[in-house]
Amino acid sequence: MFRLAVKSVRHNPKRLILTAIAVALGVSLVAASHTFTNALSSGFSGLFSEIYAGTDVIVENDPDAAETEGGDPFAAVEGVFEPSVVDDVAAVDGVEVAIGGIQVAGSVLPPPSDDAPTDPFAGGGGAPSQIFNWSGIPEIDQSTLIDGRGPESTGEIVLDVDSAPRLGYELGDMVGIATESGVEEFELVGTVQFGESNSLQGATLAYLTDDDAHALAGDANFQQISVLVEDGADAGAVAGSIADVLPEGTRAITGEDKAAEETEALDDVLQYVDIFAIAFALISLFVGAYIIVNTFRIIVTQRTREFGLMRAIGVTGSQVRSMILLEAIVVAILASTIGIIAGYLLALAASWLVSLFVGDIFGTMTLPVDAILWAYGLGTLVTLVSALLPAVHASRISPMEALRESATSGKQPLKVRNIVGGAMALVGAVVIWMGLFLELERPYIYVGAGAVALVIGVTLLAAQVLVPMAFGLRSLLTRMFKVDGKLAANNIRREPRRSANTAAALMIGVMLLALVATFTESLKTVVTAQFSQTQADFFVFSGQGAIPTGAIDVLEDAEGVALVTTLGVDSAIYEGEGRAVASVEPSTVGEAFEYNSEPAMSELGEGEVFIDPVIQDLGVEVGDAVRLEGPEGSVDLEVAGLYLNEGDANFWVDQATGEALFGDYSILQALVVLDDGVDVDEAQTDIQEALSEEFPMVALQQPGQLEQLANTFIDLLLGVISALLASALVIAILGVANTLLLSVTERTREIGLLRAVGLKRSSVWRMITVESMVMAVFGTVLGMILGVSLGSALVLALEDFGFDGVTVPWIWLIVYTVLAAIAGVLAALWPAWRASRLDILKAIATDG
Amino acid sequence: MTTTAAPALAATMRDGYKDYGHGEAAVRALDGINVDIARSEFTAIMGPSGSGKSTLLHTLAGLDRLTAGSSTIADTTITTLTEAQITEVRRKYIGFVFQSFNLIPSLSAKENITLPLDISGAEVDKTWFDEIIGILGLADRLTHLPAELSGGQQQRVAVARALVSRPEIIFADEPSGNLDSRSGAELLGFMQRAVKEFGQTIVMVTHDPTAAAYADRILFLEDGTIVDEMREPTADRVLDRMKQMGH
Repeated sequence: MFRLAVKSVRHNPKRLILTAIAVALGVSLVAASHTFTNALSSGFSGLFSEIYAGTDVIVENDPDAAETEGGDPFAAVEGVFEPSVVDDVAAVDGVEVAIGGIQVAGSVLPPPSDDAPTDPFAGGGGAPSQIFNWSGIPEIDQSTLIDGRGPESTGEIVLDVDSAPRLGYELGDMVGIATESGVEEFELVGTVQFGESNSLQGATLAYLTDDDAHALAGDANFQQISVLVEDGADAGAVAGSIADVLPEGTRAITGEDKAAEETEALDDVLQYVDIFAIAFALISLFVGAYIIVNTFRIIVTQRTREFGLMRAIGVTGSQVRSMILLEAIVVAILASTIGIIAGYLLALAASWLVSLFVGDIFGTMTLPVDAILWAYGLGTLVTLVSALLPAVHASRISPMEALRESATSGKQPLKVRNIVGGAMALVGAVVIWMGLFLELERPYIYVGAGAVALVIGVTLLAAQVLVPMAFGLRSLLTRMFKVDGKLAANNIRREPRRSANTAAALMIGVMLLALVATFTESLKTVVTAQFSQTQADFFVFSGQGAIPTGAIDVLEDAEGVALVTTLGVDSAIYEGEGRAVASVEPSTVGEAFEYNSEPAMSELGEGEVFIDPVIQDLGVEVGDAVRLEGPEGSVDLEVAGLYLNEGDANFWVDQATGEALFGDYSILQALVVLDDGVDVDEAQTDIQEALSEEFPMVALQQPGQLEQLANTFIDLLLGVISALLASALVIAILGVANTLLLSVTERTREIGLLRAVGLKRSSVWRMITVESMVMAVFGTVLGMILGVSLGSALVLALEDFGFDGVTVPWIWLIVYTVLAAIAGVLAALWPAWRASRLDILKAIATDG
Repeated sequence: MTTTAAPALAATMRDGYKDYGHGEAAVRALDGINVDIARSEFTAIMGPSGSGKSTLLHTLAGLDRLTAGSSTIADTTITTLTEAQITEVRRKYIGFVFQSFNLIPSLSAKENITLPLDISGAEVDKTWFDEIIGILGLADRLTHLPAELSGGQQQRVAVARALVSRPEIIFADEPSGNLDSRSGAELLGFMQRAVKEFGQTIVMVTHDPTAAAYADRILFLEDGTIVDEMREPTADRVLDRMKQMGH
């Protein structure tokens, strides 16, 4: 039986080529992502073991303890080890050295230059800096001196060997470091090399003395203690002894374990990349399934007489069925193998490309076992499931069919298909409607589930919808393309299932594209609306997260500034859970920004709080009292209003409450309003310059610039998703080509007759092309209608997140339609070429 | 029909050779054939299978190319034309009736009949169309699809299609081959009428003596050459001649 199946595949490989390509394309996505993430993981696990190789034991905050206790979520930010703890650890048996470590949140600045204008976009960021205290012990610093000496007294600094020349510093220069509290300068006394090759991927590494590090971090404690054990001592045992002297909520872990833990954490993240890739591979394979169904259906039709003959000589129906399924498996295995190889090569190419930009971060490129399992599993499953229906159909062929004059395709009514399709579409639509209008919780889940049902329903109905529509075009096509157009329209109607499946494959791909485009365009509208809520002339951010209060003073003192209002977001405990609390300045906020709240944010008084929909859903209402606990103390507040957008902050309080909760709370964003008549661009340059002396990490941008930036990111998102959907679309186009190719074979005699009667080759070509274009454009239009509708539904469902209207991406829709028509022409190339080259004599030969 | 006073020629072939395959496997299907097909005459080509009669029809009609020699349709030498030009000639001057699969399944009977005119973008001559339909008895079958017609009706539609553009010449390849004797006789009767009443030229390949008897003239083919010719045949005379040939 297996040999028969293999022979059948080998006997007529052409008709299965495109099917195999479709499967291989989908599979290659899975294989590529697995190979890629695997190499990334092995690369980073190498890096982690390098980092922790020198340190025997690391004493640090216990991540598990912080979670389970839940009482002190603020501790993680600050150092937990008082200097005395370091001494305690050092005194533990088996410990040779124990060094406290502290990292400073700040940036190493390039030397000040007068001529270079401050770029507002670069001002807030630049290459990240890693600033630590220097121990002088290479195993602990993970760096070795190259030049000069380590920082020995306050006011000294060392930089890594690449950054110093890159920034333009030489030994003896004064190096500026910007932190929350301003800029301080240090003398460069040496350069160091990180690890073995100083591979920092563009970051700047700097070391200071303990005292300077403590001062800059504003923290007298250490965040971590690195321990080297005595020769011959067991790191694990020493870690155990150290744990006994540690304060609660901290732990001692061996360097080896720490490296493994970090690798594991990274793997968890990478796993999402794989899941993401599998999701897109599934979309591709789902689209591919339509092609496979079509191919096998057509093959079965073409071989009706063959199967009839087999049945006549005693082959059972189930044997016929297994034979076809075996054929499917043969194709799936071949295709998956090709897909795995292609995926591996794709991963190689991708890693090479990434290496060009960020350096070699990959370990050895191996094809992981799970990639092979996933690839074969998915490839075979999809092919088998798709071939099942045609196989069952084949098993029902009666021996009588062998004797019939011509192979007639069984014209089963589309009744069942229509009923099931109609029901699913209806259920889908109803569920979407429920999600939109019944005020249910999490409406997007209903909309999502309804969308899936609707799509499958429409796919099934397409045979009834698309085909009459295409046929309705007959007179138009006839007028445009004469007989060729008429024949093309007829051909589409002749096999409604086949045409519908072909168009549906494309429909799904385009639908997802249109959905994403609708979503992102609406998102842009939201962004625009957000920025139209502001009367502020500048938004102010800091590259380090929080804006130093000193910078706010600079802003307020700057010429032409009417007012500055600030927004801080911190975390406080409400009913045992950490919640985001926003602190605003009600007295000035009204002049700068219109928050979506009731009443206006400027009405927020002392001792009052506004709550967002999430808190509202907990049953809290206006007039209730809530109690918030912050690191600096607890406050009781009265709920005075509602903040209407979900996802920003849960509680909104005035700055007095903010200070009571968080003390000197960190300012996330400031808004600047200028006096009337002040030139905005000039003011931007002036203020930026005033800031650059002390607070170079603080940048101010006009709302328009920010909007542009946000839109660029949204476009990037659309681009990435479109690129990932591309494989599904390519498969769909292959599907059109595949269907045409097979039906050209099926219509050999008909085309021969047309040629004999005088149809030119070019006309035959045009006939196939028109057929292809009609299918492609119809699939696309249907996909766009569905995609835009579902996208709109999704946008409406997400109203709580600030979406307030649907924007139809008209330009994209036009682009997609034009592309679909072009794709139709391209898909027709091979089939049309074959059709127009058909040997007339063979085609009309009396015996098939 | 004896009134062949000044017969202009609808189609000719001079020293026609046709080889299939190359080298040792080469088969010579036509071996230096000379044929003249007179206008308004019903010519039948007969011969045992493998005699080359189908090849002769295909090369005369421009469906296949001669290896050597030349042939004309309506005074146009087609052996030197390009593929596109030959298609043009077929469209303008030739009608076809095949043994089976004559019709496009997705087109109605009427659309099938007017197909050649539609292809060339010509107007349908309504009077002529109605006349043909009347004679062939297809008036109430025009909107049917081929699958809804009987075998005899399908072949009549094919004949109507061949006639509708008033071609210089109609080539028919075993047109009655798949029909029962009554339908076959009917069909051949129509073809004969077309020749007599409208002066249509028809060339038909057949191996059936009864069918050949409808023709004005029969060419007997054997091993790629014309071995005999018979005028005003009857079925019995044809049968005798065939027996002579050893069949």
